[in-house]
Amino acid sequence: MFKNPQPSKLFWFSMSIAYAFCFSSLYTYATIPEYILELNNTAEIIITMKLATVRLVIVAIALLVYPVILFRFFKYAKYFTVALTAWAVAVYIDDIFVLSEVIQYPESRLISSVQSLRPILIASLLWMSVELVFRPLTAD
Amino acid sequence: MKNKNTDTNNLGFSTILGNVSDKNSNGIDYIVQSSTFRLTFSFINLYALIVILLFFIVKGNLVGGIDNNFLDTGFLSVLNARAMLLFLLLISLNITAYFNYGFKYVCLIMLVYMLNSAIDNAVLFSGFMHLTDRPYFSAFNVTRPLFIIALIWLLIIHKDNKKAVKIE
Repeated sequence: MFKNPQPSKLFWFSMSIAYAFCFSSLYTYATIPEYILELNNTAEIIITMKLATVRLVIVAIALLVYPVILFRFFKYAKYFTVALTAWAVAVYIDDIFVLSEVIQYPESRLISSVQSLRPILIASLLWMSVELVFRPLTAD
Repeated sequence: MKNKNTDTNNLGFSTILGNVSDKNSNGIDYIVQSSTFRLTFSFINLYALIVILLFFIVKGNLVGGIDNNFLDTGFLSVLNARAMLLFLLLISLNITAYFNYGFKYVCLIMLVYMLNSAIDNAVLFSGFMHLTDRPYFSAFNVTRPLFIIALIWLLIIHKDNKKAVKIE
C-alpha cells in the first residue's frame, strides 16, 4: 500500500524553502533581459550562462523527481537528499573557490540576490538530509 | 572438572598450533568485505592518487608539451582546487571505510562531486581540450567514467550491516 512519510514540520518547512529557492532561480535565469547579456557579452559570461543552463536542467529534473522518491520510494529518499545536498555544496564551493577566475555572472540585482541566498538553500537541504538520515521516521 | 581440563589442554594445543586468533574472533562483529570490493577500493585509491600526482607534474611543469595558453585560461587553478578537494574526499572515504561508518554517504558525496566536476569541465573547457595535445590529460578525462562506475559499484556492494558476514 501507499505509505506516507511523516517527517517533522521543520522538514516540510525546509523543503518548501528549497523549492521556493529553486523556482525563483529558474524564474530568474529564464527571464534575464537580453540587453543585459548583450551589454556584457564577454566569454566568461557566455560560458557561465551555458553552465547555469546545464545546472538548471538538473535542478528542474530534481524538482520533478524528488516528490516521487519521497512518497513512493521513501527508502531511497535519504540517499537522494544527501546526493542533492552534496551537489548543492559542490556547486557552491566550485563557484566561490574553484571557478572564481573562470566564470562571471551577468550584472543583475535579481541574479546577485539569488546567488547570495544560496547558503539558505544549503542549510535547508542539510537539515532535510540530517533528519532523513538520523531521525527514525514513522510511516502510516 | 574433567571437561574443563580437557578444554584447557585443547586451548593450549591450539595456541601452539597458532589457531588461537580464529577461536577468539568468533565473537567479534567484523565485517568482511568481498574481494571485489577490496579490488575496486584499491583501484579508486590508486586512480585518485595518480590524478593528484598528475596535478603536481603539470603544476611543476615537469612534462613537456603543455600549452601555456591552455593553463592561462584558468584550468590550472581549477585543477589545483579540485586536486585538494579530491584528496580530502579520499581521506574521508578511507576513514569511513576503516571505521565502517557512513561509508555509503561519503561514497555518494564523492560520486556527486566527480559527476559535477565532469559536467563543469565538459561545459567550461571542452573548447580547449584536444585528445592529441595532452595525452595525460586525455587519459584522465577518458577514464573518468570508469572511476565513476567504480564508485557506483562500490556503493552497491558495500556491506554495512553488522549481521551480514562474521568471521567463523
